[in-house]
Amino acid sequence: MIQYNKQKVKTHKIGIYLWIWGLLFVFSFFSYMVDYLNFEGSLRWTLIVLFMFSKAALIMSIFMHLFWERYAIVNVLLWPMTLMMLFVWIMVAESKYTLLTRIFYFILGS
Amino acid sequence: MSRAIDKLPKGWGGLTSDFGSDQKTFKGMSWGKSMMWIFLLSDTFIFSCFLISYMTGRASTTASWPDSSVVFGLEVFGTSVPLLLIAIMTFILISSSGTMAIAVKYGYEKNRKLCAIFLLLTALCGAAFVGMQAFEWTKLIVVEGLRPWSNPMGAAQFGSFFFMITGFHGTHVTVGVIFLLIMARKTWRGDFDTGRRGYFTTMKSDYVAIEIMGLYWHFVDLVWVFIFAFFYLW
Amino acid sequence: MYDESNYKIEAKAYSASDTSVSPAEEPEQELYHSKSWWTTYVFSQDAKYIGIQYICAATAIALVGLILSVLMRVQLAYPELNVLDPTTYYQSLTMHGMIMVIFFLTALFLGGFGNLLIPLMIGARDMVFPYVNMMSFWVFVLSLLVLMASYLVPGGPTGAGWTLYPPQSITSGTPGNLWGLILMLVSVVLFIVGFTMGGLNYVITVLQSRTRGMTLMRMPLSVWGIFVATIIALLAFPALFVGGLMLLLDAVLGTSFYMPAIIATSNLGKDLSTGGGSPILFQHLFWFFGHPEVYIVALPAFGIVSDLFSVHARKNIFGYRMMVWSIIAIAVLSFIVWAHHMYVAGMTPWFGFFFASTTLMIAIPTGIKMYNWLLTLWRGNIRFTVPMLFALGFFITFLNGGLTGMFMGNVGTDIALSDTYFVVAHFHFTIGIAPVLVVFGAIYHWFPLMTGRMLNEGLGKLHFWITFIGAYMIYFPMHYQGLQGVPRRYFEMYDSVHATSSGLNEFITIITIVVAVAQLLFFYNVINSALSGKKAKRNPWNANSLEWQTPEMPPKHGNWGREQPRVYRWAYDYGVPGADKDYIPQNLSSKDIGKANVEKT
Repeated sequence: MIQYNKQKVKTHKIGIYLWIWGLLFVFSFFSYMVDYLNFEGSLRWTLIVLFMFSKAALIMSIFMHLFWERYAIVNVLLWPMTLMMLFVWIMVAESKYTLLTRIFYFILGS
Repeated sequence: MSRAIDKLPKGWGGLTSDFGSDQKTFKGMSWGKSMMWIFLLSDTFIFSCFLISYMTGRASTTASWPDSSVVFGLEVFGTSVPLLLIAIMTFILISSSGTMAIAVKYGYEKNRKLCAIFLLLTALCGAAFVGMQAFEWTKLIVVEGLRPWSNPMGAAQFGSFFFMITGFHGTHVTVGVIFLLIMARKTWRGDFDTGRRGYFTTMKSDYVAIEIMGLYWHFVDLVWVFIFAFFYLW
Repeated sequence: MYDESNYKIEAKAYSASDTSVSPAEEPEQELYHSKSWWTTYVFSQDAKYIGIQYICAATAIALVGLILSVLMRVQLAYPELNVLDPTTYYQSLTMHGMIMVIFFLTALFLGGFGNLLIPLMIGARDMVFPYVNMMSFWVFVLSLLVLMASYLVPGGPTGAGWTLYPPQSITSGTPGNLWGLILMLVSVVLFIVGFTMGGLNYVITVLQSRTRGMTLMRMPLSVWGIFVATIIALLAFPALFVGGLMLLLDAVLGTSFYMPAIIATSNLGKDLSTGGGSPILFQHLFWFFGHPEVYIVALPAFGIVSDLFSVHARKNIFGYRMMVWSIIAIAVLSFIVWAHHMYVAGMTPWFGFFFASTTLMIAIPTGIKMYNWLLTLWRGNIRFTVPMLFALGFFITFLNGGLTGMFMGNVGTDIALSDTYFVVAHFHFTIGIAPVLVVFGAIYHWFPLMTGRMLNEGLGKLHFWITFIGAYMIYFPMHYQGLQGVPRRYFEMYDSVHATSSGLNEFITIITIVVAVAQLLFFYNVINSALSGKKAKRNPWNANSLEWQTPEMPPKHGNWGREQPRVYRWAYDYGVPGADKDYIPQNLSSKDIGKANVEKT
C-alpha cells in the first residue's frame, strides 16, 4: 500500500467529464421535452426508453469507468440484467392477464 | 509508461484468459472496488424488482392512474409547468455525478484540496436533491392528500409505489451524502496520503476509496435515471 | 484504469509446458490481529472462528425447528391429545419452514462452511474484508433474536406458512397477522442484510484472492458449490427483500400492493378500504427468490459431496470440468423455473408451457452430476468411513427426491399433486434429508480441521444408520399419502377419508421421535470428542486440498505461516499411476512427485 502512494497514476483530462456532463444534460432535456410536448403512444415509449438507456450507458461507461475496464468485470455486470429482462417480460404478460380477468369477471360479468 | 497490465490479452481473449488465470479474475482491481461493484449489482436487482412491481401494479389495476406531469407539476409565475421540480432534481443529481467524477480524478492526482472541495460539492448537490424530494413529499401529502394507503387522484397504489420507491432511493442518497462528508473530511485531513487507519475497520486508507465512493454515487444517479423515466415520464 | 497502477504481474504468460507458478500480482493482505479476548473469540474477524460461530448458531436454531417438527408430527398422529391447537400448529409450521430453509441451511452452508473452507481451500489467509465478515455474523444473530421474539408478541408468530402469501397473511383469522408477520419480515430483512455482507466477502475472496497457481479450474468442488450458491443468493435475495418489504408496508401502513379490491368489498376480516393490488405479484417475487433459494441450499451440498466421495474413495472426481459447468448451468437455469410453484395459483395459463420446459431442462445438469458421482465411485478404493456413508446417503436420497420432482414439474400431474403430501415428501427428500446428511458428513470430515481431534467412528456409524434409515421411513410413506390426496398444511384429518392414513401417521411420528432423539448421539459425540477425542494426525484423511496442508492443524491465524502456498495441480490427484502415495497434494511441485504420471491440470 505504501508503494502505491508513490506511483503516479495517469488520469483523464477534465474535458471528457465536462463533455459527458453536457451530453447528459442534453439527453435529460430531450426526455423532458417528450413529456412537455405531449408525445403519445409508442413514439413516447420508444423515445423515453432510448434516452434512458443512452444516459445510463454514458454514466456507466464514462463516469463509472467501465469503458476502460477489462471485459471480465463488464460481462459479469451486464449479463445478469438479461434475467431482469426476462422477469420484466413475464410480469408484463402476467399484468395483461390480470387486467383481462378483472375486466372480464368484474366489469363485463357483473 | 507501459504498465504490466497492458501486456495482458485484451478484448474477448482477455475475458477467457482472465477467467482462466490464477490469483485475480478482475485484474488490477482492488478488493474494495470489486466488492462495491458486486454490491451494486445486487442493489440493481432490488431497484429492478421495485420498478417491475410498480409496472405490474400500474398495468394490472382497473382504477385510473394519475397523470404524472400534472401531479408533479409546479406553479411558477402563474403558469403551470409540468414536472419542473423533477427536472431540476434530475439536473442537480447529474451535476453531482459530474462533480463526483472530477473528485475521483483529483483524488488520484493527489490534489487533496480540490478533491475535498468537489466531494463537498457532490454532497451539497445530494443534500439539495433530498431536500427537494422532501419538499415534493410535503406538497403531495399536505396539499394533494396523497398517502401510502390512499390517493384522491386515482388508484391507491400510486401513493404506495411513489412513497416506497422514492423513499428507498432517497435513503440511498442520504446514506451517500453522509459517506461523502466522511470521505471529504478524511481527504482534507490527509488520511489518504498518510494511509491513516480507519476508526471502525482499522484498515489503511487509500485514494481508491474515493473511486469506490464514486461508483456508489453514480449508481444512485443511475437509479434516478430509471425512476425518472419509468415513474415520472411514462 | 486508476486502480491497476499497483499491478505488478510480469509479461511472461503462463504456458502449458511451463511448470513454474506465476509471480504474485499483489502484496499479501494485511491481517487484523486481535488483542483482547472479546475480539478473538466473540467479535472475531478470523473467518475460521466466524465459520464455527455460524455453524453453532445455525445448529441451535435448527434444534428449535426440529422440536417444532416433532410437536407437529405428534399432533398429526395423535390429534386426540391436543398437543397443539390449530393456531399453534400453523405457527409451528411457518416457523419450522422459515427456520430450516433460511436460518439453518442457508446460514450453515454459506456462512458456516463458506467461512471455514473458502480461505483455506484457495490458499488465502482470510476473507477480503474481515471486519464486514464479523459484522455479518452478528447481524445474523440479531435476525435470529428478532425471529424468536415473535413468540413474545401479541398474537404470536405468523401462521401464514413460510411462503407468507398475501392477502391471507395479513387478513385476520391467520395467526400472528400483525406483530408476528412484522417480526418475521424484519428478521428476514436483517438476515438478507447480514447475508449480503458475508456473501460479498465469499464471492470476492474466491474471485480476487486465490493463491499463486490456484486457477478457478483447480479449486475443489466444495468451493465451487459455495461460490456459485453465493452468487445466486446475491441475485435472488433482492426479490425476497422487495416482496417482503411491500408485504410489511401492506401490513403496517395499509398500502395495497397485494390486497385486491375483492377483499375490501367482502367481509374477509380487516376493513380494507384500499384495493386493486395484485396477490400474484407477491407469488412471482417470492418464487423468483424461492426457487433459486433451494439451489442455494443444494449446490454447496453438491460441491461438498464431490469432495467427500473423491477423498474417501481415493479416486479423482469423474468429469471435473463438467461438474463445474453443471453447477453453473444449474445456477443459471434456477432463475428461469420459478413459476413451477405457481401452476395452480391462477397465473397466466400459458406460462405453464414455458416453465415446465425449463424445469425439465434443469434435470439435465443435475443428472450429469449424479452419473459423475456414480462413476467416481466405480472401481474406487471405497473406505466406508462415516463421511463416505453420509455421502452415499445423500446420493440415494437426492436421487429419490429428484425423481419425484419430475412429476410436479409437469403441469398436468402437478394439478393432482399440488399442495399434497407428495410435495412435502419431495422437498424434504431434496432439501431436508439430502443436504442435512451432507452437513453431518462434512462435520465428520472437517472436525479434525476445526478441533485437531477425530470424532468417534462407532458412534458416528450408529448415528448415520439411525438417521438415514429413519429419515427414509419418515418421508417415503408421505409419497403414498400425497398420491391418496392427503393435503399439506392441514391441522388434522377429522372424519375425512384421509383419516384412514392415521395408522401411517402414527408410524411416521414414532420414527420421527426416534430419529430426533438419536441426534443426541451426534451432539454427545461432538462435545465429547472436542474435549477428549482421539488426537488427529496432520491430514488424517490423506486429502489433496489445501485446507489440510497448513503448517499446523487446526490452522492458526493467518493459516499458512510465513508464506502462502503455491498450487501446481487440481485437488483430485488420487491414485495416480507411478506415484509413491495414493494422493498428491495441490501444493506439491513436479519436482516433489517423482515418477508419478500426472496430467496437466
